[in-house]
Amino acid sequence: MIPVFLAQLAKERRNPLLIIVFVVACIGATMVFTGGIQTPTTIAIFSEEDHAQAIEEKWENLLNAEGDIRFVITDAAKAREDVLQGRSDVAIKLFEHDYQLIASVDLPTIQYIDHYVRKIFEKEAFINAAAAQSNHPAAFRADIESKLDHPLMEMDVTALTGDELSSYDMGTQLMFAFTLLVAMFMIGFRVNNVLKDKVYGLWDRLILSPVSKAGMYTGYLTYAFLIGFVQTLIILLVFKYVLNYDLGERFGLLMVIVAFFTFSMVSVAALLTGLVRKPEHFYAIYPSVIPLIPLVSGAYMLPGTMTNPVLTFIGDLFPLSHAMDAIIDVVLYDAAWQDITQSLILMILIGVVAMGIGINLIERRQSS
Amino acid sequence: MIETVRLSKAFKEKVVVEDVNLYLDQGESVGLLGPNGAGKSTTISMISSLLKPTSGDVKLDGQSVIRDPSKIRKVLGVVPQEIALYQELSAYENLKFFGRIYRVPKDQLESRIQETLQMVGLQDRQKDPIKTFSGGMKRRINIATALLHSPKILILDEPTVGIDPQSRNYILEMVRQLNVQKGTTVLYTSHYMEEVEQLCHRVYIMDHGRVIASGSQSELLSILSNEDTIKVQVNQLTDAFITAIRNIDVVRRVEETGDGIKIIVQKSRNIISDLVKLAEQENIQILNFQMENPSLEDVFLHLTGRTLRN
Ligand SMILES: Nc1ncnc2c1ncn2[C@@H]1O[C@H](COP(=O)(O)OP(=O)(O)OP(=O)(O)O)[C@@H](O)[C@H]1O
Ligand SMILES: [Mg+2]
Repeated sequence: MIPVFLAQLAKERRNPLLIIVFVVACIGATMVFTGGIQTPTTIAIFSEEDHAQAIEEKWENLLNAEGDIRFVITDAAKAREDVLQGRSDVAIKLFEHDYQLIASVDLPTIQYIDHYVRKIFEKEAFINAAAAQSNHPAAFRADIESKLDHPLMEMDVTALTGDELSSYDMGTQLMFAFTLLVAMFMIGFRVNNVLKDKVYGLWDRLILSPVSKAGMYTGYLTYAFLIGFVQTLIILLVFKYVLNYDLGERFGLLMVIVAFFTFSMVSVAALLTGLVRKPEHFYAIYPSVIPLIPLVSGAYMLPGTMTNPVLTFIGDLFPLSHAMDAIIDVVLYDAAWQDITQSLILMILIGVVAMGIGINLIERRQSS
Repeated sequence: MIETVRLSKAFKEKVVVEDVNLYLDQGESVGLLGPNGAGKSTTISMISSLLKPTSGDVKLDGQSVIRDPSKIRKVLGVVPQEIALYQELSAYENLKFFGRIYRVPKDQLESRIQETLQMVGLQDRQKDPIKTFSGGMKRRINIATALLHSPKILILDEPTVGIDPQSRNYILEMVRQLNVQKGTTVLYTSHYMEEVEQLCHRVYIMDHGRVIASGSQSELLSILSNEDTIKVQVNQLTDAFITAIRNIDVVRRVEETGDGIKIIVQKSRNIISDLVKLAEQENIQILNFQMENPSLEDVFLHLTGRTLRN
């Protein structure tokens, strides 16, 4: 088993291009897609109602009261044109009690903005409705606003530790989604070495050697595991120490989740390997299937936005959605290991089942 | 040492190897000869335990190895027909890998690698990646990787296919030395007659999955036919001379060629002395004799009506 592992490692050292490409692509993509969230963004707001100016000014104050996005009153035509030309991702059309997002593409940032704006509008609607019941609306309003900002009871607006949960950090989620995505690619390509070496006849030579079948599979698969894990570790370390992303307080626990995910994904890749006959088929199929997994797992969307039960079910068959759940819990809500055991168990389960079926399939292809 | 008993293999309905009986004695060098698709590689795969026969048996020292292939795997070195190496890794790294998987003891590994590299004459290229090697060099490393653990039996599947004559001679000489000096038993597959003629004590000829002839080279040549072709070059020809030759009991046919005659005779007896005598009587001077030796190539032609390579 060890020589098999070492040979894979030696090949990687000879030509580490793939892992470099994945690390760079992941970090690059994360910075491109989350750039708008990490730094304060300006978003155009406008109204075309009768008393547009009053509406604009009222919401401008409310929207800019919290958070780090800057909302700027803009001419309606210009705002529309900017979105249309791609100069800005989104603009907001305001009504008295409602709003409308104007966007040309569906970016994750837009969901984030929508989430934020909706929160403000809902809060305002709630205060308005409550104030209408009161005898002194203005006094009531001041009172409730201060109470909402400094709640007596800590409810679901705070995180487990009691820190105020100001906004959901979509950037962090995307960063992990991309990291795990490139990990899935790397793992798959390395598991596929089994198939590649089979075609080159190296597998047969291994069979004729004193190395056992179990030893052969262990050699290839532990290598795929290790390279996937190391790649993820490198990326996360760069995010944490070089780019100063917030990875939460529990890096160790995070890596435990990554380890479970990596194991589980090695198995899924083995299963997919078992389904094809030639490495070229694998190279054709795998890269088109893998990018769909984060989509159906909702890894690019706000938690709870994915409501299609069929897609959710399919997503849950892959380890990614469970890993993302656990990671988000740990990073954003500071969960401890007890809180994520379910996700870990699910990943192990997927791993064991997929590994069993996968190796069986690979062996069956062999003998036919 | 190794013996196959009515070894057969069918893929789905297609019978690829049928009732092959062959044996290898210790220290022998045996050739397996046949055209493309004859079933040579399939037979070798079954002998080396990579492929389960549809029926029949493979025995090592009288014991079947189909159930428990570990015994035969221990004594075998197999050089596959296709080059099976890590192209990205250097020759040295490849050898080290194969040495390790064959459990060559750590303290001997380095010296074995160097010995083997020397044997295939590529010691000075050991640090280069395989993908930078020529076809012949790759073949030599492909062989070297099967030699590291000093196998008692070496099976080579067309080790010289598609390479330059120099590499080819190198490989042939190397195999011959392993056989002669180290006593390694060799099973050598090829569709080049000359190689087998040069290297092997005994030959099996396969076609369409069957062994159609076997034996030592001379035995094989004798099945070919009992005919020899003699070309005689003379200074002049007379009708009496030709008639006299026709009257020799073993002569089958006499043909005039430009500068002499071509005589086809039964193999049983040497007629050269008769020819000399007749020529003296007719006052004819014989300038040159040429016996045309049939080759294994001709044997194959005779048995199948086809040539080995098309
Ligand atoms: N896995 C397989 N499935 C189906 N048919 C096969 C398989 N392997 C070999 N064959 C067929 O068996 C026949 C014999 O193949 P084999 O490779 O043993 O021939 P060979 O004598 O080694 O030929 P060559 O000189 O070209 O190497 C061929 O017709 C080939 O197509
Ligand atoms: Mg062959």
